[in-house]
Amino acid sequence: MKRRQLLQSAAVMAAGAMLPRSAWANKAADTLNVPLTFGIENIDRYYNSVVDGGILARHIWDTLIYRDPVTFAYKPALATAWRWTDDKTLEFDLRQGVKFHNGDDFSADDVIFTLNFVSNPANKATGQDNVNFIEKAEKLSDYKVRVQLKHSFPPALEYVSGEWPIYPGKYYERVGPRGMGEKPVGTGPYRVVSLVPSREFVLERFDEHYKDSPKLEKGGNIPRIKARLLPDMATQVAELLGGGIDWMWYVPADQAEQLAQMPNLTVVNEEVFRTGSLVIDATGRSGVPALKDKRVRKAIAYAINRQEMIDNLVKGKSKRLDVPCYPTQFGCNAAKAVVYDFNVQKAKDLMKEAGFADGFSVDMYAWRSREWSEAIVAYLAAIGIRVNLQQMDYFAIRDLMRSGKTPITFIDDGYYRLNDSATIWQRFFAKAPDDQAHDDEVKAWVEAAARINDPAKRQEFYDRIIAKVTDEAYWAPLFTFSTNYAFTKDLAFTPNIDEMPRWYNARWT
Amino acid sequence: MNDATATAAPAPAAPESPTAATLHRMRRHKGFMIGAGILAVMVLVGLLAPLLAPHDPYLQSLAKRRIPPIWHAWFYGSPRATTLHLLGTDQLGRDYLSRMLYGARISLAIGLSTALISAVIGTALGMLAGYFRGHVDAVVSFLISARLCVPLILVALTVVALVGSSLMTLILVLGLLLWDRFAVITRTATMQLANADFVLASRAAGSSWLRILASEIFPNLANAWIVVLTLEMANAIVIEAALSFLGLGVQAPLPSWGLMLAEGRNDMFFNPWIIAIPGAALFALVLAINLLGDGLRDVTAPEGRGGALA
Amino acid sequence: MARYLVQRLLLALGVIVFVSALTFALTEATVDPALAVAGEGATEEAIQQIRRQYGFDRPLVERYLGWLGGIASGDLGESYRMRRPVADIIGEHLPVTLKLGFLSLAFAILVAIPLGVLAAVRQNTWIDRFALSVSVIGQALPNFLFALLLIIVFGVNLRWLPISGSGTWQHFVMPTIALGYYAMPALMRLTRSGMIEALEADYVRTALAKGLSPGTVVFRHALQNAILPVVSLGAVQFGFMLGGSVIIEVVFGLNGLGYLARESIRRADLPVVQSIVLLISFFYVVLILLADVLNGLLDPRIRSTGA
Repeated sequence: MKRRQLLQSAAVMAAGAMLPRSAWANKAADTLNVPLTFGIENIDRYYNSVVDGGILARHIWDTLIYRDPVTFAYKPALATAWRWTDDKTLEFDLRQGVKFHNGDDFSADDVIFTLNFVSNPANKATGQDNVNFIEKAEKLSDYKVRVQLKHSFPPALEYVSGEWPIYPGKYYERVGPRGMGEKPVGTGPYRVVSLVPSREFVLERFDEHYKDSPKLEKGGNIPRIKARLLPDMATQVAELLGGGIDWMWYVPADQAEQLAQMPNLTVVNEEVFRTGSLVIDATGRSGVPALKDKRVRKAIAYAINRQEMIDNLVKGKSKRLDVPCYPTQFGCNAAKAVVYDFNVQKAKDLMKEAGFADGFSVDMYAWRSREWSEAIVAYLAAIGIRVNLQQMDYFAIRDLMRSGKTPITFIDDGYYRLNDSATIWQRFFAKAPDDQAHDDEVKAWVEAAARINDPAKRQEFYDRIIAKVTDEAYWAPLFTFSTNYAFTKDLAFTPNIDEMPRWYNARWT
Repeated sequence: MNDATATAAPAPAAPESPTAATLHRMRRHKGFMIGAGILAVMVLVGLLAPLLAPHDPYLQSLAKRRIPPIWHAWFYGSPRATTLHLLGTDQLGRDYLSRMLYGARISLAIGLSTALISAVIGTALGMLAGYFRGHVDAVVSFLISARLCVPLILVALTVVALVGSSLMTLILVLGLLLWDRFAVITRTATMQLANADFVLASRAAGSSWLRILASEIFPNLANAWIVVLTLEMANAIVIEAALSFLGLGVQAPLPSWGLMLAEGRNDMFFNPWIIAIPGAALFALVLAINLLGDGLRDVTAPEGRGGALA
Repeated sequence: MARYLVQRLLLALGVIVFVSALTFALTEATVDPALAVAGEGATEEAIQQIRRQYGFDRPLVERYLGWLGGIASGDLGESYRMRRPVADIIGEHLPVTLKLGFLSLAFAILVAIPLGVLAAVRQNTWIDRFALSVSVIGQALPNFLFALLLIIVFGVNLRWLPISGSGTWQHFVMPTIALGYYAMPALMRLTRSGMIEALEADYVRTALAKGLSPGTVVFRHALQNAILPVVSLGAVQFGFMLGGSVIIEVVFGLNGLGYLARESIRRADLPVVQSIVLLISFFYVVLILLADVLNGLLDPRIRSTGA
């Protein structure tokens, strides 16, 4: 008994020693310390494609219009008004009196230089999908621009509000992407005071950020933000416990539960605009003919107990997914989807019917949580599919997928945070390198829908696409994601569904 | 490099046969006996894993995740710990003890097969270089220098990342990278032996070079060879664990100890046992192999001490 | 001696060319660089265009020679991912790794030599056994595991040391220990065996017989002889540390060459990967050359035969 008490008190002491060092040091220094998970080699947003780059870009730069993170409604930002003059033409009235961090005044020249520069293929912007539909940007007057698109492109405003930061034209012309990466200049609520490429970015509040900015909620924003690279999740947790950082996200569900026990930490779970699905190679080009059989693909969809995974592994606000799109996206009509409830017997029957009663072997590629992948491996093993798991990095898998070497891939996609279902279909059902289904009918529908501006007519095509993709089980949709944020109790922070932490709205409590 | 306890051992009083003398020295060498003991247990455990394991190591049960090991019931009054899972369960509710037992197989298999592949490559190259000398030796020496200049971890990481990881890839990659020490020692030893009387006699009797290498020279360098084999085994096990830790080693659901460490790492601040168990096992295995190797070196070549730079 | 040096230099050059060719072939054969360059969401035509533009459709040998030619003129090529010269990128990441390497080597030597000397002088006492245990444990504890233990104890529980980053000297304490202790056992053992040998040598006995103090004998005579091989082993170990710092850099959030290598491997950024492997091979070659020359100075037999 005595021994047990002793051990218990030792355990309590150990736990006490693990209380996070109060972040008062950071609070007193008025610096918010945050981790970056990926190296942003060039902070110029047109020349990086990592999530962290998008987050910092929203602090440093502004876009023409702003999408409200809660309502997803567009709001005026650098443009005070905008309109489609026809299918392929957008006009923007620009805000007057906006200043860049270097003192330059914002005007039409900045917009047209930025857009014309990054959309020129010769300048090799990284996220080509974000800009390659721009034909040209023209100046109509000092505060009015017209953007001509190459073809009708209904979701264009999503890109305008999300991925088109506006740079000071003269400066950008002089220094180019490289100079912008070394010394970024924008109009955003924070300006960069120092940076070490990919390793550390120190931002300071920009007090001349234009009035009426839709970004800032109210005063009291933290004067300095220091973002530094901490690629390893366990290191981030250690730093949060040790007080080295004030905030982190993507905390795995189990660790989030543990961190929530700590008296000095707040843990918040929020839905994110991201879904996880299995993409199945229906073409046979990856060398697994069994997957060409629709019944086998259906069996896979039936075999996975998504609810059990969500309850025990994924947790939080994640929800079961039956559609190949994000449920709240435009056109994501769940009523049209063929639904696969967990049913091992049915899965086994389908396997038998298809002539694979004894199962087969297959490689599955995944880059997200290894736990999730392993759970899926076990589910598929139960219906005789022997999965050889290839847990690899995203970039390696992407290349393998494009060259048709991945029979089953666990993908997750944030749709560039664009609120239109077709975003991901364009990539996975209509474009040569990524298309894993090679279904001409679906491809034709996706392409046709992309040229129609009338929502009701587009919806018709979307319904057909959802019905066919789920009936053929080209994908086995799994669940929507949710993200755990953990931060010191000294901090007031509100996460958003669009997976874009807004540190500029964080405050000390 | 000689062991204190070995050099301290007094010479056996009665004259014995060389084998008996070696055996005697082995029994008196503490490090060797400890290493051999641990390793024997690990090998036994690995071989008998299917009999010893209380559960299927791959059977997941999402409702029973991260049950703590049994001592948490004794000391901390954990209500979840149960004798059903003596070492608890992992993040997917799989029995940790069973995974540890099967994990011994993986580590040993990787260590042994990698070391054997490198041994074959290194020994072949080294003996050819040592026996034929001249141009053959120049080529082999060049290859050895080149191999020494390849940053091992980086190249292994690159290959595994690009080709895709599996047990097979890993064993092949490491096998192709760890042969240098074998080549160095066999080359030197063969050079010394090539002019020995018994080799010259065999050659005069018309034996082919292959036969001479295999039956005259190799048996005489077997002692040093086994020492290197243990060294490279330990090396391969550690590298596998490191690569698995970086997510580029053995693929789940194979129960590799390195992978278990990697999977438990996020949880280590809250449930330290989750990395302590595979960590301790890995440490014990590598320690055992190293002790065995050191002991063998002392026992088989008690006067050999060296500053050989490999 | 001059001939020996020239021979070694030529061999070193040959080794580098050979290793770089292997790396180049290996990486280029497994990855389609055009896909990597094209980036997210590129169309098939765009990929084809890049293939022509960058010359990825040319034969492997031709591309390798082009790359090698570039290196000879100081051009390591351009990163696919960052669109910046590889030389600049490496230049930014190298200092952290070099610093970590030097500190780790210094740590290893500073622990290994005194411990080795003590163990040799006090052979078969508790100090000797302690030194032996330290080295045996050091060899058996994988450095990433040790790094985790350090973080749990000194970073999270005691909070004596910062866990990640490279801002101050305190940031380097844990990474240095984690990387350096792995090299320590071999150095320690070599010091010990070298010292034992030296202490038994005639000149030491003579010196002692002449009435010189044991301290002088140990440090003036014996250590001087025992230390050269240790230094040359240290040089080689330094090379291993540069190549093996990946894990330590990942665990401690140090953004050095190892981290850069891992990131570039993940993204199939071949020019960066190839250049890093080449650079580290180059370091190895130079260090091994240094070690050889040291041994040559030490051992006249090597000098004369040039083996």
